[in-house]
Amino acid sequence: MKAQVVLVVEDNEHNRKLVRDVLGFAGFTVIEATTAEDGVALALERSPDIVLMDLQLPGMDGIEALRLLRDAPKTRSLPVVAVTAFAMRDDRERVLSAGFDGYLEKPISVRALPDQIRGFMGSKEVAE
Amino acid sequence: MAEVADRKAYEEINRLRADLAAARQQQSATSEILTALGKAASDLDAILGTVVESAQRLCTADVSQIHLVDGDLLRLARAAGSSQEVIDYMVANPVDRDRRSLIGRVALYGRTQQITDVLADPEYGRLELQSLAGLRTTLGVPMVLDDDLVGVMVVWRTEVDPFDDRAEELLTTFAAQAAIALRSVNLVRALEARSDELARKVEQLEALAEVGQVVSSSLDVDEVLSTIVTHAVQLSGTDGGSIFEFDDAEQEFNVRTAFGTSTALVDDLRRTRITLTGTLVGRAATLGHPEQVPDLRQVPLDPHLQRLHDAGWLSVVAVPMLREGTIVGALVVRRMTPGGFSDETCDLLGDLRSQSALAILNARLFRELELKSAELEVASKHKSEFLASMSHELRTPLNAVIGFSEVLLERMFGDLNERQDEYLRDIWGSGKHLLELLNEILDLSKIEAGQMILERSTFGVRDALEYSMSLVRERAARHGIALNLEVGSGVDLLDADELRFKQVVLNLLSNAVKFTDDGGRVSVRATSQGTELVVTVSDTGMGVPPEDRERIFESFQQGKRAAPKAEGTGLGLTLSKRIVELHGGRIWLESEVGVGSTFCIGIPASARMTSGQPMTEAPDIPWPSVANVVVVEDDRRSSELLALYLRGAGVEVVTARDGEEGLALIRRLRPTGVVLDIRLPKLDGWDLLALLKADPATAPIPVIIVSMLDERGKGFALGAAEYLVKPVGRDDVLSALARVTVLPDRDRLVVAIDDDRLAVDLVRAVLEPEGWTVLGATSGAEGLALATARQPAVVLLDLLMPGMDGFALVDALRRAEATKDIPIIVLTSKTMTAQDKDRLNGQISYVARKAEFDSAALLSLVERVTSARTSRASEAP
Repeated sequence: MKAQVVLVVEDNEHNRKLVRDVLGFAGFTVIEATTAEDGVALALERSPDIVLMDLQLPGMDGIEALRLLRDAPKTRSLPVVAVTAFAMRDDRERVLSAGFDGYLEKPISVRALPDQIRGFMGSKEVAE
Repeated sequence: MAEVADRKAYEEINRLRADLAAARQQQSATSEILTALGKAASDLDAILGTVVESAQRLCTADVSQIHLVDGDLLRLARAAGSSQEVIDYMVANPVDRDRRSLIGRVALYGRTQQITDVLADPEYGRLELQSLAGLRTTLGVPMVLDDDLVGVMVVWRTEVDPFDDRAEELLTTFAAQAAIALRSVNLVRALEARSDELARKVEQLEALAEVGQVVSSSLDVDEVLSTIVTHAVQLSGTDGGSIFEFDDAEQEFNVRTAFGTSTALVDDLRRTRITLTGTLVGRAATLGHPEQVPDLRQVPLDPHLQRLHDAGWLSVVAVPMLREGTIVGALVVRRMTPGGFSDETCDLLGDLRSQSALAILNARLFRELELKSAELEVASKHKSEFLASMSHELRTPLNAVIGFSEVLLERMFGDLNERQDEYLRDIWGSGKHLLELLNEILDLSKIEAGQMILERSTFGVRDALEYSMSLVRERAARHGIALNLEVGSGVDLLDADELRFKQVVLNLLSNAVKFTDDGGRVSVRATSQGTELVVTVSDTGMGVPPEDRERIFESFQQGKRAAPKAEGTGLGLTLSKRIVELHGGRIWLESEVGVGSTFCIGIPASARMTSGQPMTEAPDIPWPSVANVVVVEDDRRSSELLALYLRGAGVEVVTARDGEEGLALIRRLRPTGVVLDIRLPKLDGWDLLALLKADPATAPIPVIIVSMLDERGKGFALGAAEYLVKPVGRDDVLSALARVTVLPDRDRLVVAIDDDRLAVDLVRAVLEPEGWTVLGATSGAEGLALATARQPAVVLLDLLMPGMDGFALVDALRRAEATKDIPIIVLTSKTMTAQDKDRLNGQISYVARKAEFDSAALLSLVERVTSARTSRASEAP
């Protein structure tokens, strides 16, 4: 079975590396972008299986990037998971109401992350 | 002889006749005068005018005049028959009391005098007047009041023709009447003056009262001072004024406010340096009493007076404002005319200035306070913003610290030796602790910025307490600390923010465990006390001394309870206090040094009653119950997410964290559905399902299993209505709920919106027997929310509603992605105008008039528009 591709959009180098190592260890192929703009371009180009989108990014933010992905036919139904550094519930609702397929709170749980990613992908498949 | 006698009789008759006529004339003149007196008691001129005119006429004189006593002189008051030239001459030349004139002689002797021919009188001295007026024979009578001469009434003829007794008698009468008129007018004037004075006093008292009121009620010093200066000017009858405030540091007076003063002058005064020495204001302040300048043209001017003089002011008085011996300022009033200021004016200003001094002092204090609190507010806002942004910035690197240590601890990249494992655990633990601190800082700053919003729900108190206890159980066990829980009778469900409630209890518990020596005991007790749920957490620690019991709730204060074995964030109690207060509750501490501490929280049990239900909902008639679901799930995040999904669809959610709690809740609430996890503490999902299905009361409730494990066969065998394998998305849960008919089938769901509840009931009565579910709303806003959340097959609405009307509602439904395709039927009593139709054109499916309501027609209409939609939807790929 071909390795599933996860696109990580995250501006912080260490956090990007952490996600890359953890998911790489779990057998995913990880591609990376440091800005929302690059992330959207990469998503269109590489058609990943799922996107992990940091919300606070320099320039365009994660919510705007999601809107662009939803507008493009190619990425319309691509699962996009928000990664938030703030744990307030009102923020969480804002994220879900923006149309993300899920959210992950920082700090991410290294142990749970691979399963969570699989879960988000599976959920999307079932829903369709 | 008879003829002679007849003639005499005839003459006598004629004389009598003439007398009678004269008497008639006199009587009528007198009555004229009396009428004039009565009519215009206060208008002396008019009365005297009537008197002189009558005298001139009846005495057949060429001129009649009244002269009034003014000290040693007699001045012309009123004349009839005199040319303006004569009048001017006489006004310019008042009469002395001497023999040189007839008037002087009357005044001198106080008796009636007549000069038959002034030109023949050697003593007569007013020849200039004689040549001007041509008078020859003149008669004068005194006007006497209470034995005092008040004036002289005089008549003259320009020919030598002596006045007879009758004329003298008449003039005497007129003089007496004029005197009476004078008296009554004087009386009225005195009365008026008295009443004016009284009115002024009243006005002053009222003004003082008003000023006092303003001083005590307003801290706006400018308002107070402008009230004072306005009253000062008006009451003292001056033209303008100002109030100066003394600047102690600069030793100068600054104008604070002014009245009746041009802006240019006020600006000028602001730029003028008015010092304590060498100025009128400074002198008044130094001496402590009013200082005045009756005429600015006559004195050397200080800079202040110079400005006033330049602006046209001529007289000024400065009243010092002192408070306990120190100079506060000065009140200044001024006139455009020269003249002194009476003692009365100065007294009045004195009363006002003490009020002003008080006002200025009050306002100074207030200004300082305000400045300080504004500074504090800014500082506090900066602090909150700083904390929020810092904690966010700190989280990012912390994420890497915790994450990478986890990666290593997971042995992802090889094994670790014992020392490495231990150090990594230290790194990981410290990172976690730092994170906890950040979370609390973030929470606190959100609360302080007023941004923390409670998410209330109904949950079981016992389970929430047990959950919090389970999180400290391990640490307590490590230190041999016994944990126990007591839940009083009557303690059951609580309406509050469940997570926040648990957070507070956990905080109190961790503190209790932290400050209790090994082998001690920590007890949690929940009791229902009136309308309050009281939870206490008691420990057997060292206790908190009384002086620390308030302070301990402030940030970064652990009191003297040095904790030897644990690190605290120092924010927990502050945060707990704020959270409890957000719930409308209270937190307090009972403690005995050496015995232990008991932290108590009281939360209003009826919190939901006060949490503002939407006004559009009438509480008396229940709406068809929106589905309520019990979610039994031990994982906090999953439970939260499921609740979020369901609440978003308008479903009421109650959560349970273990099987026992779930069972209790389901038995009590009889929900319309259950979402059940399998792996649960205490009672697992399979057992719970079996118990539910074994009880006839709960057996009909559909259960949806949400599990990590795919054991559909077993689930369905035990009676589950649906089986979902984790992770589940929003649509999975909602469509499963819809499938088990917990949610009415969307295709058979109608939202009816009408401010008339009866209309909704009517729709329900028609459609529900045919298998439709009708959800009613009585306002546009409510209807919109309902339609958005439930996405019915059709929306029925009235056009005329208070608030958001039908037109606006149609627009809103058509704009939103979720509702834009839902057919709309307008059901209205409004007669549709062409314009109305235009507005709705293309947006709605059908308009039906209420007056022509026909249940069969409505049913078929609803069936038609919905089937058209279903078929269209089914054509879509």
